[in-house]
Amino acid sequence: MKVALSADKASEGRKQLIVNHMEELGHEVVDYSGDDVVAAIVRVTDAVRDGEAARGILLDSFGSLSYMVAAKQSGIVCAQVSDEHSAKMTRDHNNSTIIAMGTEVIGDTLAREIVSAFLGAEYSGGRHQIRVDMLNKLA
Amino acid sequence: MKIAIGCDHIVTDIKDEMVRYLEAQGHEVIDCGTYDFERTHYPIYGRRVAEQVVTNEAERGIVICGTGVGITTSANKVQGVRAPLVRDVTTAKMARKQLDANVIGIGGRITGLGLMQEIVDVFLSTPYVETEESKQLIASVDALASTSRGLDGDEIFDEFLEKWEAGCYVD
Repeated sequence: MKVALSADKASEGRKQLIVNHMEELGHEVVDYSGDDVVAAIVRVTDAVRDGEAARGILLDSFGSLSYMVAAKQSGIVCAQVSDEHSAKMTRDHNNSTIIAMGTEVIGDTLAREIVSAFLGAEYSGGRHQIRVDMLNKLA
Repeated sequence: MKIAIGCDHIVTDIKDEMVRYLEAQGHEVIDCGTYDFERTHYPIYGRRVAEQVVTNEAERGIVICGTGVGITTSANKVQGVRAPLVRDVTTAKMARKQLDANVIGIGGRITGLGLMQEIVDVFLSTPYVETEESKQLIASVDALASTSRGLDGDEIFDEFLEKWEAGCYVD
């Protein structure tokens, strides 16, 4: 699938690792990174909302800035994650299409495993959809 | 400090334990629910905590659900909320220092109670350190979600609760 990505300057090395990993998994990566970190995050959320990309990955030092900015975008459910279980469950229960990860608190192997878990999981729908409808009503 | 707290039905016991922990430290806690284990929906409680914080009824907010994603994302969709979702103390500390985080999200099925209490201690005690960069970033974040319905009350969810009662959301 097509995955949109943004990374801050401090996450450049991690970004390369994640791009290589996703390409090895057979995904196409579109890199929206730029000098204005917030603008780059919004370009990723726009790409996902508009269907230009199926998923998004956001990288910065702790993941918090990327998460806050993405979560506030209308029609977007983003998850700040640092473990594989959350990455999987947030697809299953929240229909998250974007994850934010902190480069300084996650190692290389864990980062790759989180990406694999996220891209490999699907949304269950059903009773979970009322909560997603409520999120979309909020913003 | 006056602190608003909210959770969904998966982690009510953990939220209740956190309320006791905060009150034992002398904090005043506004418990926004949920209050039992009956199936409910995290955006209701994430929105309530967010409202308490952005209207300055509470100084800080704490939100907990299974992974933390649902309730923390609900809070972030309210303009003025800056809520990281954390599983470690350092991320909580840096979100206070760099982004003046006013709500913190934790996954009750992800993070153990001891670590959760340490995260909350650090979240409440770490001061914001203003720099030119942090000022600009916070201004950018606060400008977002300007069309949010976050302060329009619980009623904004009524249409979905009616559909839920009518059996429209089945697994």
